[in-house]
Amino acid sequence: MIEHALAPIGLAALQAAAMLALAPLLRGLIKKMKAALQMRQGPPLLQVYYDLAKLLRKEAVRSATSSWLYIAGPRMYFATAVVATTLVPVWIAAAPLEAAGGVLAFVGILALGRFFLATAALDTGSPFGGMGASREMTIAALAEPALMLGLFTAALSAGSLNLGALVRGLLDRGVAFHPSDVLALAGLFIVVIAETGRVPVDNPATHLELTMIHEAMVLEYAGADLALVEWASALKELLYLTLLADLFAPIGIATSASPVLLLQSALIWAAKMFVLALAVTLVESTNAKLRLFRVPDLMAVSLGLGFLALAIRFL
Amino acid sequence: MFNNLLILSAAGMLVTGYLMVGQKALFTAIRLYGAQSWLLGVIAVAIALGDDRPHLFVTATLTVVLKGLLIPWFLMRVVDRIGIRREIEPFLNVPASLLICLGLTVVGYRVSTGFPEGAQGVTHHVIGVGLSMLLIGLFLMVTRKKAVTQILALLTVENAVFLIALGITSGMPLVVELGISFDVLLAVLVLGILVRRIVDRFESMDVSRLSQLKG
Repeated sequence: MIEHALAPIGLAALQAAAMLALAPLLRGLIKKMKAALQMRQGPPLLQVYYDLAKLLRKEAVRSATSSWLYIAGPRMYFATAVVATTLVPVWIAAAPLEAAGGVLAFVGILALGRFFLATAALDTGSPFGGMGASREMTIAALAEPALMLGLFTAALSAGSLNLGALVRGLLDRGVAFHPSDVLALAGLFIVVIAETGRVPVDNPATHLELTMIHEAMVLEYAGADLALVEWASALKELLYLTLLADLFAPIGIATSASPVLLLQSALIWAAKMFVLALAVTLVESTNAKLRLFRVPDLMAVSLGLGFLALAIRFL
Repeated sequence: MFNNLLILSAAGMLVTGYLMVGQKALFTAIRLYGAQSWLLGVIAVAIALGDDRPHLFVTATLTVVLKGLLIPWFLMRVVDRIGIRREIEPFLNVPASLLICLGLTVVGYRVSTGFPEGAQGVTHHVIGVGLSMLLIGLFLMVTRKKAVTQILALLTVENAVFLIALGITSGMPLVVELGISFDVLLAVLVLGILVRRIVDRFESMDVSRLSQLKG
Protein backbone atom coordinates (compact mmCIF):
# COMPACT_ATOMS: atom_id res chain seq x y z
CA MET A 1 0.00 0.00 0.00
CA ILE A 2 2.80 2.35 0.93
CA GLU A 3 4.72 1.45 -2.22
CA HIS A 4 1.59 2.19 -4.20
CA ALA A 5 1.58 5.72 -2.82
CA LEU A 6 5.33 6.21 -3.10
CA ALA A 7 5.65 5.35 -6.79
CA PRO A 8 4.03 8.56 -8.09
CA ILE A 9 6.12 10.63 -5.68
CA GLY A 10 9.30 8.99 -6.93
CA LEU A 11 8.25 9.59 -10.52
CA ALA A 12 7.41 13.19 -9.67
CA ALA A 13 10.84 13.73 -8.12
CA LEU A 14 12.50 12.17 -11.15
CA GLN A 15 10.55 14.32 -13.61
CA ALA A 16 11.10 17.49 -11.59
CA ALA A 17 14.83 16.81 -11.33
CA ALA A 18 15.15 16.16 -15.06
CA MET A 19 13.19 19.29 -15.93
CA LEU A 20 15.28 21.35 -13.49
CA ALA A 21 18.45 20.03 -15.08
CA LEU A 22 17.27 20.83 -18.61
CA ALA A 23 15.63 24.21 -17.96
CA PRO A 24 18.79 26.39 -18.13
CA LEU A 25 19.68 24.73 -21.44
CA LEU A 26 16.50 26.14 -23.01
CA ARG A 27 17.45 29.65 -21.87
CA GLY A 28 20.94 29.18 -23.29
CA LEU A 29 19.52 27.87 -26.56
CA ILE A 30 17.21 30.85 -26.98
CA LYS A 31 20.06 33.26 -26.20
CA LYS A 32 22.31 31.49 -28.70
CA MET A 33 19.70 31.51 -31.47
CA LYS A 34 18.91 35.15 -30.81
CA ALA A 35 22.60 36.00 -31.07
CA ALA A 36 22.86 34.01 -34.30
CA LEU A 37 20.00 36.04 -35.79
CA GLN A 38 21.90 39.22 -34.90
CA MET A 39 25.11 37.85 -36.50
CA ARG A 40 26.77 37.65 -33.10
CA GLN A 41 28.46 34.66 -31.59
CA GLY A 42 26.62 34.99 -28.30
CA PRO A 43 27.37 33.40 -24.94
CA PRO A 44 28.15 29.66 -24.81
CA LEU A 45 25.19 27.31 -24.72
CA LEU A 46 25.97 26.36 -21.12
CA GLN A 47 26.48 29.93 -19.88
CA VAL A 48 23.23 29.87 -17.90
CA TYR A 49 24.55 26.86 -15.95
CA TYR A 50 27.83 28.69 -15.21
CA ASP A 51 25.90 31.73 -14.03
CA LEU A 52 23.70 29.64 -11.77
CA ALA A 53 26.73 27.83 -10.32
CA LYS A 54 28.46 31.14 -9.69
CA LEU A 55 25.42 32.67 -8.00
CA LEU A 56 24.86 29.59 -5.83
CA ARG A 57 28.39 29.88 -4.48
CA LYS A 58 28.01 33.54 -3.58
CA GLU A 59 26.73 34.87 -0.31
CA ALA A 60 23.11 36.11 -0.32
CA VAL A 61 23.19 39.76 0.73
CA ARG A 62 19.98 40.71 2.49
CA SER A 63 18.75 44.07 3.58
CA ALA A 64 18.74 44.59 7.36
CA THR A 65 15.20 45.96 7.24
CA SER A 66 13.68 42.98 5.47
CA SER A 67 11.59 40.33 7.20
CA TRP A 68 11.11 36.59 6.68
CA LEU A 69 8.98 37.33 3.61
CA TYR A 70 12.10 38.43 1.80
CA ILE A 71 13.74 35.08 2.45
CA ALA A 72 10.58 33.10 1.74
CA GLY A 73 9.98 34.78 -1.65
CA PRO A 74 12.57 33.03 -3.82
CA ARG A 75 12.13 29.73 -1.98
CA MET A 76 8.37 29.67 -2.49
CA TYR A 77 8.80 30.76 -6.12
CA PHE A 78 11.22 27.90 -6.69
CA ALA A 79 9.12 25.36 -4.79
CA THR A 80 5.89 26.23 -6.59
CA ALA A 81 7.61 25.99 -9.98
CA VAL A 82 8.91 22.51 -9.06
CA VAL A 83 5.52 21.38 -7.77
CA ALA A 84 3.79 22.68 -10.90
CA THR A 85 6.21 20.55 -12.94
CA THR A 86 4.82 17.40 -11.38
CA LEU A 87 1.30 18.22 -12.58
CA VAL A 88 2.21 18.31 -16.27
CA PRO A 89 2.80 15.27 -18.48
CA VAL A 90 6.22 15.65 -20.09
CA TRP A 91 7.56 12.43 -21.58
CA ILE A 92 4.75 10.08 -20.72
CA ALA A 93 1.02 10.69 -21.21
CA ALA A 94 0.39 10.89 -17.48
CA ALA A 95 1.46 13.49 -14.97
CA PRO A 96 3.24 11.97 -11.94
CA LEU A 97 0.98 13.66 -9.42
CA GLU A 98 -2.12 13.98 -11.57
CA ALA A 99 -4.27 12.59 -8.77
CA ALA A 100 -3.36 15.70 -6.78
CA GLY A 101 -4.84 18.26 -9.11
CA GLY A 102 -5.46 19.42 -12.65
CA VAL A 103 -5.50 22.60 -14.67
CA LEU A 104 -6.79 24.81 -11.87
CA ALA A 105 -4.20 23.55 -9.41
CA PHE A 106 -1.48 24.22 -11.98
CA VAL A 107 -2.56 27.83 -12.49
CA GLY A 108 -3.14 28.34 -8.78
CA ILE A 109 0.23 26.97 -7.68
CA LEU A 110 2.10 29.18 -10.13
CA ALA A 111 0.04 32.16 -8.93
CA LEU A 112 1.02 31.35 -5.34
CA GLY A 113 4.71 31.52 -6.26
CA ARG A 114 4.19 34.83 -7.98
CA PHE A 115 2.30 36.19 -4.98
CA PHE A 116 5.21 35.35 -2.68
CA LEU A 117 7.79 36.87 -4.98
CA ALA A 118 5.73 40.06 -5.32
CA THR A 119 5.23 40.43 -1.57
CA ALA A 120 8.93 39.78 -1.03
CA ALA A 121 9.75 42.53 -3.54
CA LEU A 122 7.55 44.93 -1.55
CA ASP A 123 9.17 43.86 1.71
CA THR A 124 12.46 45.74 1.37
CA GLY A 125 10.65 49.00 0.70
CA SER A 126 12.79 49.78 -2.32
CA PRO A 127 10.85 51.71 -4.98
CA PHE A 128 12.10 49.40 -7.73
CA GLY A 129 10.77 46.30 -6.04
CA GLY A 130 7.37 47.88 -5.55
CA MET A 131 7.23 49.14 -9.11
CA GLY A 132 8.29 45.77 -10.52
CA ALA A 133 5.82 43.91 -8.32
CA SER A 134 2.92 46.14 -9.31
CA ARG A 135 3.77 45.78 -13.00
CA GLU A 136 4.20 42.04 -12.75
CA MET A 137 0.85 41.65 -11.02
CA THR A 138 -0.88 43.92 -13.54
CA ILE A 139 0.27 41.72 -16.37
CA ALA A 140 -0.33 38.49 -14.45
CA ALA A 141 -3.91 39.55 -13.68
CA LEU A 142 -4.52 39.79 -17.42
CA ALA A 143 -2.49 36.75 -18.42
CA GLU A 144 -4.04 34.35 -15.94
CA PRO A 145 -7.62 34.40 -17.26
CA ALA A 146 -6.26 34.08 -20.80
CA LEU A 147 -4.22 31.06 -19.70
CA MET A 148 -7.28 29.50 -18.08
CA LEU A 149 -9.45 30.08 -21.17
CA GLY A 150 -6.83 28.42 -23.38
CA LEU A 151 -6.57 25.47 -21.02
CA PHE A 152 -10.36 25.17 -20.80
CA THR A 153 -10.64 25.07 -24.58
CA ALA A 154 -8.27 22.12 -24.72
CA ALA A 155 -10.05 20.55 -21.74
CA LEU A 156 -13.38 20.80 -23.56
CA SER A 157 -12.13 18.86 -26.55
CA ALA A 158 -10.50 16.21 -24.37
CA GLY A 159 -13.29 16.04 -21.80
CA SER A 160 -11.17 16.41 -18.68
CA LEU A 161 -9.64 19.16 -16.59
CA ASN A 162 -6.86 16.87 -15.39
CA LEU A 163 -3.74 17.47 -17.44
CA GLY A 164 -2.79 13.79 -17.70
CA ALA A 165 -6.30 12.70 -18.70
CA LEU A 166 -6.46 15.73 -20.98
CA VAL A 167 -3.41 14.64 -22.97
CA ARG A 168 -4.69 11.07 -23.16
CA GLY A 169 -8.05 12.37 -24.39
CA LEU A 170 -6.35 14.47 -27.07
CA LEU A 171 -4.32 11.43 -28.15
CA ASP A 172 -7.51 9.37 -28.46
CA ARG A 173 -9.13 12.07 -30.56
CA GLY A 174 -6.33 11.79 -33.10
CA VAL A 175 -5.48 14.50 -35.62
CA ALA A 176 -8.82 16.18 -36.19
CA PHE A 177 -8.34 19.91 -35.83
CA HIS A 178 -11.01 22.30 -34.79
CA PRO A 179 -10.53 26.03 -35.50
CA SER A 180 -10.74 26.71 -31.78
CA ASP A 181 -7.43 24.85 -31.32
CA VAL A 182 -5.61 27.38 -33.48
CA LEU A 183 -7.24 30.32 -31.73
CA ALA A 184 -6.43 28.89 -28.30
CA LEU A 185 -2.85 28.19 -29.36
CA ALA A 186 -2.38 31.77 -30.54
CA GLY A 187 -3.89 33.08 -27.30
CA LEU A 188 -1.77 30.80 -25.13
CA PHE A 189 1.40 31.66 -27.02
CA ILE A 190 0.90 35.33 -26.14
CA VAL A 191 0.35 34.29 -22.51
CA VAL A 192 3.58 32.29 -22.54
CA ILE A 193 5.47 35.27 -23.94
CA ALA A 194 4.04 37.48 -21.20
CA GLU A 195 4.54 35.00 -18.35
CA THR A 196 8.13 34.27 -19.27
CA GLY A 197 8.94 37.97 -19.66
CA ARG A 198 9.94 37.79 -23.31
CA VAL A 199 10.31 40.73 -25.61
CA PRO A 200 7.06 42.30 -26.71
CA VAL A 201 6.09 42.38 -23.02
CA ASP A 202 9.34 42.51 -21.05
CA ASN A 203 13.01 42.32 -21.90
CA PRO A 204 14.95 39.73 -19.91
CA ALA A 205 18.30 41.15 -21.04
CA THR A 206 18.15 44.73 -19.76
CA HIS A 207 18.13 46.49 -16.44
CA LEU A 208 16.84 49.75 -17.81
CA GLU A 209 14.86 51.27 -14.99
CA LEU A 210 11.84 52.49 -16.95
CA THR A 211 11.14 49.32 -18.90
CA MET A 212 11.93 46.36 -16.71
CA ILE A 213 9.14 44.36 -15.13
CA HIS A 214 10.30 41.02 -13.78
CA GLU A 215 13.88 42.19 -13.37
CA ALA A 216 12.78 45.18 -11.31
CA MET A 217 10.90 42.89 -8.97
CA VAL A 218 13.96 40.72 -8.26
CA LEU A 219 16.51 43.54 -8.41
CA GLU A 220 17.27 43.39 -4.69
CA TYR A 221 18.22 39.74 -4.68
CA ALA A 222 21.80 38.50 -4.79
CA GLY A 223 23.71 35.25 -4.56
CA ALA A 224 21.85 32.02 -3.91
CA ASP A 225 18.50 33.83 -3.59
CA LEU A 226 18.91 35.22 -7.09
CA ALA A 227 20.00 31.83 -8.40
CA LEU A 228 16.76 30.30 -7.11
CA VAL A 229 14.68 32.97 -8.82
CA GLU A 230 16.55 32.62 -12.11
CA TRP A 231 16.41 28.85 -12.04
CA ALA A 232 12.68 28.84 -11.24
CA SER A 233 12.04 31.30 -14.08
CA ALA A 234 13.93 29.06 -16.51
CA LEU A 235 11.94 26.05 -15.25
CA LYS A 236 8.66 27.91 -15.70
CA GLU A 237 9.62 28.77 -19.25
CA LEU A 238 10.35 25.13 -20.10
CA LEU A 239 7.15 24.12 -18.33
CA TYR A 240 4.98 26.52 -20.32
CA LEU A 241 6.50 25.40 -23.62
CA THR A 242 5.93 21.76 -22.61
CA LEU A 243 2.34 22.62 -21.80
CA LEU A 244 1.87 24.16 -25.26
CA ALA A 245 3.32 21.02 -26.86
CA ASP A 246 1.10 18.80 -24.69
CA LEU A 247 -2.08 20.65 -25.52
CA PHE A 248 -1.66 21.24 -29.22
CA ALA A 249 0.73 18.57 -30.50
CA PRO A 250 0.55 15.62 -28.10
CA ILE A 251 1.58 13.25 -30.89
CA GLY A 252 4.64 11.19 -30.01
CA ILE A 253 4.26 11.28 -26.24
CA ALA A 254 4.79 7.81 -24.73
CA THR A 255 1.59 5.99 -23.74
CA SER A 256 3.31 3.27 -21.72
CA ALA A 257 6.52 3.14 -19.73
CA SER A 258 8.57 0.96 -22.09
CA PRO A 259 12.16 2.28 -22.46
CA VAL A 260 12.03 2.46 -26.27
CA LEU A 261 8.82 4.46 -26.25
CA LEU A 262 10.20 6.73 -23.53
CA LEU A 263 13.39 7.42 -25.46
CA GLN A 264 11.42 8.11 -28.62
CA SER A 265 9.05 10.36 -26.71
CA ALA A 266 11.96 12.27 -25.15
CA LEU A 267 13.51 12.86 -28.57
CA ILE A 268 10.21 14.06 -30.03
CA TRP A 269 9.75 16.29 -26.97
CA ALA A 270 13.21 17.79 -27.54
CA ALA A 271 12.29 18.48 -31.17
CA LYS A 272 9.04 20.16 -30.12
CA MET A 273 10.90 22.29 -27.56
CA PHE A 274 13.38 23.32 -30.23
CA VAL A 275 10.60 24.40 -32.60
CA LEU A 276 8.84 26.36 -29.85
CA ALA A 277 12.13 27.94 -28.74
CA LEU A 278 12.70 28.96 -32.34
CA ALA A 279 9.23 30.53 -32.46
CA VAL A 280 9.94 32.45 -29.24
CA THR A 281 13.30 33.59 -30.63
CA LEU A 282 11.73 34.78 -33.87
CA VAL A 283 9.03 36.71 -32.03
CA GLU A 284 11.66 38.23 -29.79
CA SER A 285 13.94 39.20 -32.65
CA THR A 286 11.33 40.66 -34.98
CA ASN A 287 9.30 42.67 -32.48
CA ALA A 288 10.12 45.77 -30.54
CA LYS A 289 9.29 45.85 -26.86
CA LEU A 290 5.84 47.30 -26.29
CA ARG A 291 5.32 50.37 -24.20
CA LEU A 292 4.04 49.33 -20.78
CA PHE A 293 0.64 50.90 -21.44
CA ARG A 294 0.35 48.91 -24.66
CA VAL A 295 0.83 45.58 -22.89
CA PRO A 296 -2.80 45.38 -21.67
CA ASP A 297 -3.87 45.67 -25.32
CA LEU A 298 -1.76 42.63 -26.19
CA MET A 299 -3.17 40.73 -23.24
CA ALA A 300 -6.67 41.75 -24.36
CA VAL A 301 -5.90 40.15 -27.72
CA SER A 302 -4.92 36.92 -26.04
CA LEU A 303 -7.96 37.04 -23.77
CA GLY A 304 -10.16 37.71 -26.80
CA LEU A 305 -8.65 34.78 -28.67
CA GLY A 306 -9.27 32.55 -25.65
CA PHE A 307 -12.90 33.62 -25.35
CA LEU A 308 -13.40 33.15 -29.07
CA ALA A 309 -11.86 29.69 -28.99
CA LEU A 310 -14.35 28.70 -26.29
CA ALA A 311 -17.27 30.35 -28.10
CA ILE A 312 -16.51 28.66 -31.43
CA ARG A 313 -16.46 25.29 -29.66
CA PHE A 314 -20.19 25.67 -29.08
CA LEU A 315 -21.17 27.05 -32.50
CA MET B 1 -5.36 15.54 -43.98
CA PHE B 2 -6.45 18.25 -46.40
CA ASN B 3 -9.41 19.03 -44.20
CA ASN B 4 -7.03 19.60 -41.29
CA LEU B 5 -4.86 21.88 -43.39
CA LEU B 6 -7.97 23.74 -44.49
CA ILE B 7 -9.22 24.27 -40.95
CA LEU B 8 -5.76 25.24 -39.68
CA SER B 9 -5.31 27.86 -42.38
CA ALA B 10 -8.84 29.24 -42.05
CA ALA B 11 -8.41 29.61 -38.28
CA GLY B 12 -4.98 31.15 -38.93
CA MET B 13 -6.65 33.76 -41.14
CA LEU B 14 -9.04 34.60 -38.31
CA VAL B 15 -6.08 34.97 -35.93
CA THR B 16 -4.35 37.41 -38.31
CA GLY B 17 -7.61 39.37 -38.48
CA TYR B 18 -7.66 39.60 -34.69
CA LEU B 19 -4.02 40.59 -34.43
CA MET B 20 -4.71 43.31 -36.99
CA VAL B 21 -7.41 44.71 -34.71
CA GLY B 22 -5.12 44.41 -31.69
CA GLN B 23 -2.10 46.42 -32.77
CA LYS B 24 -1.22 49.68 -34.39
CA ALA B 25 2.15 49.46 -36.14
CA LEU B 26 1.44 49.83 -39.85
CA PHE B 27 4.29 47.57 -40.98
CA THR B 28 3.07 44.73 -38.77
CA ALA B 29 -0.46 45.17 -40.08
CA ILE B 30 0.82 44.92 -43.65
CA ARG B 31 2.83 41.81 -42.80
CA LEU B 32 -0.24 40.29 -41.16
CA TYR B 33 -2.22 40.94 -44.33
CA GLY B 34 0.55 39.24 -46.32
CA ALA B 35 0.44 36.22 -44.01
CA GLN B 36 -3.33 36.14 -44.35
CA SER B 37 -3.06 36.02 -48.15
CA TRP B 38 -0.50 33.21 -47.96
CA LEU B 39 -2.93 31.25 -45.78
CA LEU B 40 -5.67 31.90 -48.35
CA GLY B 41 -3.33 30.47 -50.98
CA VAL B 42 -2.79 27.38 -48.81
CA ILE B 43 -6.56 26.98 -48.48
CA ALA B 44 -6.98 27.15 -52.26
CA VAL B 45 -4.26 24.51 -52.69
CA ALA B 46 -5.83 22.30 -50.02
CA ILE B 47 -9.23 22.47 -51.77
CA ALA B 48 -7.57 21.88 -55.15
CA LEU B 49 -5.84 18.74 -53.86
CA GLY B 50 -8.69 17.53 -51.66
CA ASP B 51 -11.52 17.94 -54.18
CA ASP B 52 -9.36 17.43 -57.28
CA ARG B 53 -10.00 20.84 -58.81
CA PRO B 54 -6.75 21.70 -60.59
CA HIS B 55 -7.83 25.15 -61.76
CA LEU B 56 -7.69 26.29 -58.14
CA PHE B 57 -3.88 26.06 -58.37
CA VAL B 58 -4.03 29.10 -60.66
CA THR B 59 -6.14 30.88 -58.05
CA ALA B 60 -3.64 29.98 -55.36
CA THR B 61 -0.70 31.23 -57.41
CA LEU B 62 -2.50 34.47 -58.24
CA THR B 63 -3.42 34.98 -54.59
CA VAL B 64 0.08 34.38 -53.29
CA VAL B 65 1.87 36.45 -55.93
CA LEU B 66 -0.52 39.40 -56.00
CA LYS B 67 -1.88 39.57 -52.46
CA GLY B 68 0.91 37.79 -50.65
CA LEU B 69 3.87 39.56 -52.24
CA LEU B 70 3.07 42.42 -54.60
CA ILE B 71 0.46 44.34 -52.62
CA PRO B 72 2.29 44.11 -49.25
CA TRP B 73 5.50 45.24 -50.95
CA PHE B 74 3.72 48.20 -52.56
CA LEU B 75 1.98 49.22 -49.33
CA MET B 76 5.24 48.99 -47.39
CA ARG B 77 6.83 51.25 -49.95
CA VAL B 78 4.01 53.76 -49.59
CA VAL B 79 4.32 53.73 -45.78
CA ASP B 80 8.09 53.99 -46.03
CA ARG B 81 7.92 56.99 -48.36
CA ILE B 82 5.40 58.77 -46.20
CA GLY B 83 7.32 58.03 -43.04
CA ILE B 84 4.29 57.61 -40.78
CA ARG B 85 4.64 54.29 -38.99
CA ARG B 86 1.89 54.04 -36.44
CA GLU B 87 -1.86 54.19 -36.30
CA ILE B 88 -3.11 57.09 -34.22
CA GLU B 89 -5.62 56.41 -31.48
CA PRO B 90 -8.62 54.84 -33.27
CA PHE B 91 -12.20 55.89 -32.58
CA LEU B 92 -12.52 52.90 -30.23
CA ASN B 93 -9.73 51.64 -27.96
CA VAL B 94 -8.28 48.18 -28.51
CA PRO B 95 -10.04 46.17 -25.76
CA ALA B 96 -13.44 47.56 -26.79
CA SER B 97 -12.74 46.82 -30.47
CA LEU B 98 -11.70 43.29 -29.58
CA LEU B 99 -14.90 42.75 -27.62
CA ILE B 100 -16.96 43.96 -30.55
CA CYS B 101 -14.99 41.73 -32.93
CA LEU B 102 -15.68 38.83 -30.60
CA GLY B 103 -19.39 39.49 -30.94
CA LEU B 104 -19.04 39.86 -34.71
CA THR B 105 -17.26 36.50 -34.93
CA VAL B 106 -19.99 34.79 -32.98
CA VAL B 107 -22.58 36.37 -35.29
CA GLY B 108 -20.61 35.32 -38.36
CA TYR B 109 -20.28 31.77 -37.10
CA ARG B 110 -23.94 31.56 -36.17
CA VAL B 111 -25.06 32.89 -39.56
CA SER B 112 -22.83 30.43 -41.39
CA THR B 113 -25.03 27.56 -40.20
CA GLY B 114 -27.84 29.04 -42.29
CA PHE B 115 -26.04 28.25 -45.55
CA PRO B 116 -27.20 24.93 -46.98
CA GLU B 117 -23.56 23.89 -47.47
CA GLY B 118 -22.44 25.37 -44.18
CA ALA B 119 -24.55 23.38 -41.76
CA GLN B 120 -21.65 21.24 -40.60
CA GLY B 121 -18.12 19.99 -41.09
CA VAL B 122 -15.27 21.76 -42.81
CA THR B 123 -17.34 24.14 -44.92
CA HIS B 124 -19.11 25.33 -41.79
CA HIS B 125 -15.77 26.51 -40.41
CA VAL B 126 -14.59 28.00 -43.71
CA ILE B 127 -17.80 29.96 -44.22
CA GLY B 128 -17.90 30.90 -40.54
CA VAL B 129 -14.36 32.24 -40.62
CA GLY B 130 -15.07 34.02 -43.92
CA LEU B 131 -18.18 35.77 -42.60
CA SER B 132 -16.45 36.71 -39.35
CA MET B 133 -13.50 38.21 -41.20
CA LEU B 134 -15.87 40.10 -43.48
CA LEU B 135 -17.51 41.69 -40.45
CA ILE B 136 -14.15 42.35 -38.74
CA GLY B 137 -12.84 44.00 -41.91
CA LEU B 138 -15.90 46.25 -42.15
CA PHE B 139 -15.53 47.12 -38.47
CA LEU B 140 -11.84 47.99 -38.93
CA MET B 141 -12.71 50.21 -41.87
CA VAL B 142 -15.23 52.15 -39.81
CA THR B 143 -13.15 52.63 -36.67
CA ARG B 144 -9.64 53.32 -37.94
CA LYS B 145 -8.45 56.73 -38.98
CA LYS B 146 -5.37 56.03 -41.07
CA ALA B 147 -5.91 55.66 -44.78
CA VAL B 148 -3.45 52.73 -45.04
CA THR B 149 -5.26 50.76 -42.31
CA GLN B 150 -8.50 51.35 -44.15
CA ILE B 151 -6.98 49.96 -47.33
CA LEU B 152 -5.83 46.92 -45.35
CA ALA B 153 -9.35 46.55 -43.95
CA LEU B 154 -10.77 46.67 -47.47
CA LEU B 155 -8.29 44.01 -48.56
CA THR B 156 -9.23 41.86 -45.57
CA VAL B 157 -12.87 42.09 -46.63
CA GLU B 158 -11.83 41.06 -50.13
CA ASN B 159 -9.91 38.06 -48.75
CA ALA B 160 -12.93 37.13 -46.68
CA VAL B 161 -15.28 37.24 -49.68
CA PHE B 162 -12.79 35.12 -51.58
CA LEU B 163 -12.69 32.61 -48.74
CA ILE B 164 -16.49 32.37 -48.62
CA ALA B 165 -16.56 31.93 -52.40
CA LEU B 166 -14.05 29.08 -52.07
CA GLY B 167 -16.14 27.50 -49.32
CA ILE B 168 -19.54 27.73 -51.04
CA THR B 169 -18.88 27.37 -54.75
CA SER B 170 -16.56 24.99 -56.49
CA GLY B 171 -14.35 27.95 -57.35
CA MET B 172 -15.29 30.80 -59.67
CA PRO B 173 -14.51 30.72 -63.42
CA LEU B 174 -10.93 31.69 -64.13
CA VAL B 175 -11.90 34.85 -66.03
CA VAL B 176 -13.82 36.15 -63.04
CA GLU B 177 -10.93 35.38 -60.70
CA LEU B 178 -8.43 37.11 -62.96
CA GLY B 179 -10.75 40.11 -63.18
CA ILE B 180 -11.14 40.33 -59.41
CA SER B 181 -7.43 39.95 -58.77
CA PHE B 182 -6.48 42.76 -61.12
CA ASP B 183 -9.31 44.89 -59.80
CA VAL B 184 -7.84 44.53 -56.33
CA LEU B 185 -4.36 45.35 -57.57
CA LEU B 186 -5.60 48.46 -59.38
CA ALA B 187 -7.64 49.53 -56.38
CA VAL B 188 -4.58 49.31 -54.17
CA LEU B 189 -2.47 51.27 -56.66
CA VAL B 190 -5.09 54.01 -56.90
CA LEU B 191 -5.60 54.09 -53.15
CA GLY B 192 -1.83 54.24 -52.64
CA ILE B 193 -1.68 57.35 -54.80
CA LEU B 194 -4.70 58.76 -53.00
CA VAL B 195 -2.99 58.24 -49.64
CA ARG B 196 0.05 60.15 -50.81
CA ARG B 197 -2.15 62.99 -52.03
CA ILE B 198 -3.91 63.09 -48.66
CA VAL B 199 -0.57 63.18 -46.86
CA ASP B 200 0.76 65.91 -49.18
CA ARG B 201 -2.25 68.08 -48.49
CA PHE B 202 -2.93 67.46 -44.81
CA GLU B 203 0.50 66.30 -43.63
CA SER B 204 -1.26 63.37 -41.97
CA MET B 205 -2.96 60.12 -42.95
CA ASP B 206 -5.89 60.85 -40.67
CA VAL B 207 -8.94 60.61 -42.92
CA SER B 208 -11.17 62.23 -40.31
CA ARG B 209 -9.47 65.49 -41.27
CA LEU B 210 -11.03 65.21 -44.72
CA SER B 211 -14.32 66.35 -43.26
CA GLN B 212 -12.87 69.67 -42.14
CA LEU B 213 -13.15 72.73 -44.33
CA LYS B 214 -9.94 73.70 -46.01
CA GLY B 215 -9.56 77.35 -46.85
